[in-house]
Amino acid sequence: MTVADVAFYCFSTVTVAAGLMMTVSRNPVHSVLWLILAFLSSAGLFVLLGAEFVAMLLIIVYVGAVAVLFLFVVMMLDIDFAELKGEMAKYMPLALLVGVVILIQIGLGIGAWVEADGKMGLRAAVAPDAAQVENTRALGLLIYDKYIYLFQASGLILLVAMIGAIVLTLRHRSGLKRQDILQQMYRDPAKAMELVDVKPGQGL
Amino acid sequence: MVGLEHYLSVAAALFVIGIFGIFLNRKNVIVILMSIELILLAVNINLVAFSSFSGDLVGQVFTMFVLTVAAAEAAIGLAILVVFFRTRGTIDVEDVNVMKG
Amino acid sequence: MLQSDLATVLPELILAIYAMGALMFGVSSGKDQTTGTLTWATAGMFVALALWIGFGNAGDRSAFGGMFTDDNFARFAKITILLSAAAVLLISQDYMARRDLARFEYPVLVSLSVIGMMMMVSAGDLMALYMGLELQSLALYVVAALRRDSARSTEAGLKYFVLGALSSGLLLYGASLTYGYAGTTLFSGILSTVNEEVPLGLLFGLVFMLAGLAFKVSAAPFHMWTPDVYEGSPTPVTAFFATAPKVAAMALIARLAYDAFGGIPDDWSQVLSALAVLSMFWGALAAIGQRDIKRLMAYSSIAHMGFALVGLAAGTAEGVQAMLIYMAIYVAMNVGTFAFILSMERDGKPVTDIASLNMYSRTDPMKALAMLVLLFSLAGVPPMLGFFGKFYVFRAAVDADMAWLALAGAVASVIGAYYYLRVVFYMYFGTEGDRLDSRMAPAQWLALVAVAAAMLLGIINLFGIESAAALAAESLVR
Repeated sequence: MTVADVAFYCFSTVTVAAGLMMTVSRNPVHSVLWLILAFLSSAGLFVLLGAEFVAMLLIIVYVGAVAVLFLFVVMMLDIDFAELKGEMAKYMPLALLVGVVILIQIGLGIGAWVEADGKMGLRAAVAPDAAQVENTRALGLLIYDKYIYLFQASGLILLVAMIGAIVLTLRHRSGLKRQDILQQMYRDPAKAMELVDVKPGQGL
Repeated sequence: MVGLEHYLSVAAALFVIGIFGIFLNRKNVIVILMSIELILLAVNINLVAFSSFSGDLVGQVFTMFVLTVAAAEAAIGLAILVVFFRTRGTIDVEDVNVMKG
Repeated sequence: MLQSDLATVLPELILAIYAMGALMFGVSSGKDQTTGTLTWATAGMFVALALWIGFGNAGDRSAFGGMFTDDNFARFAKITILLSAAAVLLISQDYMARRDLARFEYPVLVSLSVIGMMMMVSAGDLMALYMGLELQSLALYVVAALRRDSARSTEAGLKYFVLGALSSGLLLYGASLTYGYAGTTLFSGILSTVNEEVPLGLLFGLVFMLAGLAFKVSAAPFHMWTPDVYEGSPTPVTAFFATAPKVAAMALIARLAYDAFGGIPDDWSQVLSALAVLSMFWGALAAIGQRDIKRLMAYSSIAHMGFALVGLAAGTAEGVQAMLIYMAIYVAMNVGTFAFILSMERDGKPVTDIASLNMYSRTDPMKALAMLVLLFSLAGVPPMLGFFGKFYVFRAAVDADMAWLALAGAVASVIGAYYYLRVVFYMYFGTEGDRLDSRMAPAQWLALVAVAAAMLLGIINLFGIESAAALAAESLVR
C-alpha cells in the first residue's frame, strides 16, 4: 500500500463514520460537528483525487458557511431535543431496512460498474496536464467561458436565496429607533440647539 | 491500488446513510436537512471521482454548481425552519395536527 | 459565437433583467404599495414573451454548446407556462391585496421561477437541467411559506422544502451515475452511448432521475407532499403550483426520456407506466373522502399527472403530442377552477369547505353553470374538452400496443368522476345552508367564464393546439 492508499482508507473511514454518527447523535450540536468532520475528511478525499479547488471550496463554503449556519440555527431556536429524539428507537427498524435494501441495490449497480465504449471521446473538457495548467486555473477557464450560461444561472439562484431569506425572516418592528445616517449628516448644528439666556428669578 | 469503485462505494455508503438519517429522524427537521447535505456530499464525491478517473473537468464544474445550489438551498431551508418555529414553537413536523396527511 | 448564443436565450435574458429591475423598483419605491402595478406588469411581460416566442418562428437551434435547446417542443411548453403563470397572477391579484399578502417580492419570485421553468424545458445538458430545476424549486419553496405568520403556510413550505430537496438529491445521484457512465453531461452525448445493453449502473441513474422528477410532478408514489402543500399554501400560490410548474416538470421528463435516453424507450416506458397507473388510481381513490376543495384539487392533479404520463409512457411522437395537448387543457381547466376557488368566501373570509357550496346554483346560477362545465371537463365527461385530452392519451397508448394502460386509465377516470360529480351535486341538489358571498373580482369572473366557454367551444378545433403540439412532438421525437 502506498501512502495515498493509506490516506484514502483513513479519510473514507472517517467520512462514513462521521456521517453515521451525525444521524444517530442525540444532540443536534454534536450532529453539526460530525457533519463538519465528514466534510473535512471528504475534502481530503478530493485532494487525493487531484481536485484541490473543489476541496478548498468544500471547506470554505460548507464548513465555513453552511455548517455554521446550521449551528447558528440549532442554537438560536430553543428546542427540546430530548423529546424529539425519544422516538428514534421506534423508527430504527424501518430506517435500517430501507438503508440496507438501498445499499444492496446500489452495491449491485456499482459492483459491476461499466462505462460506455466511446466515453473518452465524449469528454467535453479534457483535463489539461496538471504541471502546465493547475486545477484552479483550468476550472476558471471553463466556468467563465464554456459554462457561462450555468454560471449566470447560479447567480440567479443565489438571488432567489437572498430574496427568500429576507422575505421570510425580516420583520419591521414598530417602536424601534434605527440609525438614519443621512439624517445625522444633514443635521444642522445651528438649528440643533438653542441657547437661552435665563435671567435670574424669571424662568423660561 | 485504490480505484474508481472504492470512491463510488464511499459515495454509496454516504448516500445510504443520508436516506437512513431521514427515516431515523422523522421528527427532527434540522437533522433531516443535514442528512440531505450528506446526500449532496455523496453526489459530489461521485462526480469528482468520475471526473478524476476519466480526466474530464466537467465533473468538477458540476460539483461547483452543486455546492452553490446547496448553499442557497440551506439558506432557504433554514429560513423556512425559523419562521415555522416562530409560529409553532416546535420543529416537529409529524406532531402538527393542523393538517392530516 | 456568444452573440448567437445570447440571441437564442434572449427571452430568458429579458425576463431575468426584468425580474432584477422589478426587484430594484419594488425596494426603492413605496414597497408593498407597488405590488398591484408589479403584478400587472409581470403578467404583461409574460404574455408579451409568450406572443414573441409563439410568433417568432425561429426554427430549431441550440446555444452554449448544446446546453440550451430551442425547438418547437420547448416553445410549446414555454408558451403554456408563460400564459398560465400570467393568468394565475391576474386572478390572484384581488385575493392577495385583500388578504394582506400583497408583497412586492411575490411577482419577482414568480418571474424567477418562470425563468427556471423555461430553462428546464430547454435543457440539453444534465447541469442545465439541474440549475433550471433548482431555480424554479427554490422560488416555489419561498412562496409556499409566503404567509409567514400562519402555521399552515409555513408547515406547507417546510414539507415542500424537505421533500423537494430530497428529490433533488435523488435526481443528482442519478445524474452523477449517468455522467460516470457516459463521460459527458450533454444529452446528445448520453444518447450516443446508450444502446440496447443497459448496464445496471446506468439503469440506476435513470431510475433515480425519474424518481426525482416524479416528485416534482407529484406522481404517485412520490405524491405525499401534494395534499398538504396545496391545502396549507395561500390559495393563489396553490393555483400557481397546480399549473406552470407541472407543465415544466412534465416537459422535462419528456426531454430527458427522448433527448438523453431515446435509445432505450422500453426501460423508461416501464417506469413511467407504473407511475401513471399508481397516480391515476391513487388520485381517484384518495380524493373520494375529501371535504376541502384545495385537497380535492391536489388529488385531482395527482390523477391528471397520471393521465399525462400515459401519453409519455406510450413512447411515440403521438404520445408526446397527446401529453402536450393534455397538459395545455389541464392547465386551462385549473386556471378556471382556481379562479372560482379564489373567490369563495363567506363574510369576507375565505372558505375552502366543499359543503359551503350547498345550493350554490340558486345564489349564482351563472357561476355555478361555469363551474359545472369545468368540473365535467375535469372528470372527462364527453362533450367537454377534458374528454378530448383523455381521448388523445388513451389513443396514443392503444396505438403503442399498451391497451391495458388505456383500459386502466378509463377505469380510473370513471372512479374519479365520482368526486367531481359530488361537488356538482352539492351545488345543485345540496341542502340549504349558509350562503357564500357573491362577490368576485372581474379578472376571476372573466377567467372562470372564459375557460368554461373554451371547454365547450374548443371541441370544434381545439384552438389549433393539436397541430402545434404535433409539430412540437415531431421536433422532440426524431
